[in-house]
Amino acid sequence: MIEIRDLHKSFGDHHVLEGIDITVDKGTTFVVLGGSGSGKTVLMKHVIGLLLPDSGTVVVNEIDIPSLRGRELTEARAMFGMVFQGAALFDSMTIFENVAFPLRERERSMKAAEVRRRVIEKLKVVDLDEDVLGRFPSELSGGMRKRVALARAVVHDPKVVLYDEPTTGLDPITTAYVDEMIMQAKVKLGVTSMVISHDIASAFKVADKIAVLYDGHIAAQGTPEEVRRSEHPYVQRYLSMWFEKQ
Amino acid sequence: MRRLRGWFEDFGRLIFFAGETLAWTVRPPFRPELVLAQMAAIGVGSIFIVATTGFFSGMVLGLQGNYAMRQFGAEGYVGGSVAISLARELAPVLTALMVIGRSGSAIATELGTMRVTEQIDAMETMAVNPVQYLAVPRFLASLAMFPFLTMLFDAIGYAGAYLMGIFVAGIPAGPFIEHTRSFVNPADVVHGLVKAIAFGGVVALITTYRGYHAVGGATGVGEGTTRAVVMSSISILVVDYALTLVTVGAGR
Repeated sequence: MIEIRDLHKSFGDHHVLEGIDITVDKGTTFVVLGGSGSGKTVLMKHVIGLLLPDSGTVVVNEIDIPSLRGRELTEARAMFGMVFQGAALFDSMTIFENVAFPLRERERSMKAAEVRRRVIEKLKVVDLDEDVLGRFPSELSGGMRKRVALARAVVHDPKVVLYDEPTTGLDPITTAYVDEMIMQAKVKLGVTSMVISHDIASAFKVADKIAVLYDGHIAAQGTPEEVRRSEHPYVQRYLSMWFEKQ
Repeated sequence: MRRLRGWFEDFGRLIFFAGETLAWTVRPPFRPELVLAQMAAIGVGSIFIVATTGFFSGMVLGLQGNYAMRQFGAEGYVGGSVAISLARELAPVLTALMVIGRSGSAIATELGTMRVTEQIDAMETMAVNPVQYLAVPRFLASLAMFPFLTMLFDAIGYAGAYLMGIFVAGIPAGPFIEHTRSFVNPADVVHGLVKAIAFGGVVALITTYRGYHAVGGATGVGEGTTRAVVMSSISILVVDYALTLVTVGAGR
């Protein structure tokens, strides 16, 4: 579903990504783990075409993303839904308008009743009911905003959902809820997910496969169990901090 | 040297941003409802501050004009001189400066906040061009509303001068109005309105650009807003000078 081959990216003299190879299978959840400044966000921005690689390929659903321009890129982005770290809801719009936004903009001929039906349907997937529709993002808790953000990301039935640090800055209960939400999106909606995170606990809970990003390289990649057994010194140090706590 | 280079780079990006905004203005999808909402926010919302500024400026001009002209017995010309200075210069410039303070700063802050909270990135991933969605409606609304507010300033400013001239300074109403008629041509009003349209475009482009390219949290948004207000205020004065030089010249 997502194939990244030998991806290189530099900003000025700073080499952020140096030869990344990743394969994400259809209908699975792939977590990219890494510390701050490891290039996780840069990697994700290549997948959705917000950044162009210096060299290498990014193929999603058999479409070569970096080669797309203008209208083609806009159309290809319909494959994606993205959940931002801070939810990134439009604070001038109500919850209904937020979730309806991708539908109204992408399918301008869609009838109002159909838009409403699909918005309510997707809010149900994340356990929110109709009484939030008229509220504004500032009136919701952080966890609820995250849920609305997921509903907005999947309302147009994307094939791929990208999560940017979904559990950063959340309390343990909300974190558990967001993990559950990511797993539910896979089961109920059948989407392929790519999560970037530094939250090891969440990663091992939701991931079918994990890649650990370190200094622009993939230090380990595979199933959670394979990554756990990796002998790469950085991976061992990174994981031991968490496993010691258990 | 480095600062100078940075300044040129910034200016280049602004020109590029302006070109992008203009290009998106003529491409579908068109969003008239967003333009109307911005016309309400930028235009209708500024009526109070523009009317108040206009009224007081007009009253002051009436009194000062009377003070100056009475010395050589020409107080009958106050109405005409106030009207012509309002129409050609003061109304467009003061209106623009007031709207920069009220709406220009709001535009820069709103877009800046949207940038640093990733709302603009989110929009882009949802296949909506943020320049078209955010900058174009503000640009079009400013083009439409700056001349409207300038006309309002003209009318209320003249009313203020009339009140002071006739009822406070005791200038006879007949010559006050008669000399206004003979001094001021429709072309003077049009001259002011053309300036207002140019100011509207400049202010919208600079303030949206500053907000759109804000970086680094609350401080960055604040800094962007400050720069938006300073840069657009100075640009108004420069553009005013340039337009006056081109249209009026040395007047010989």
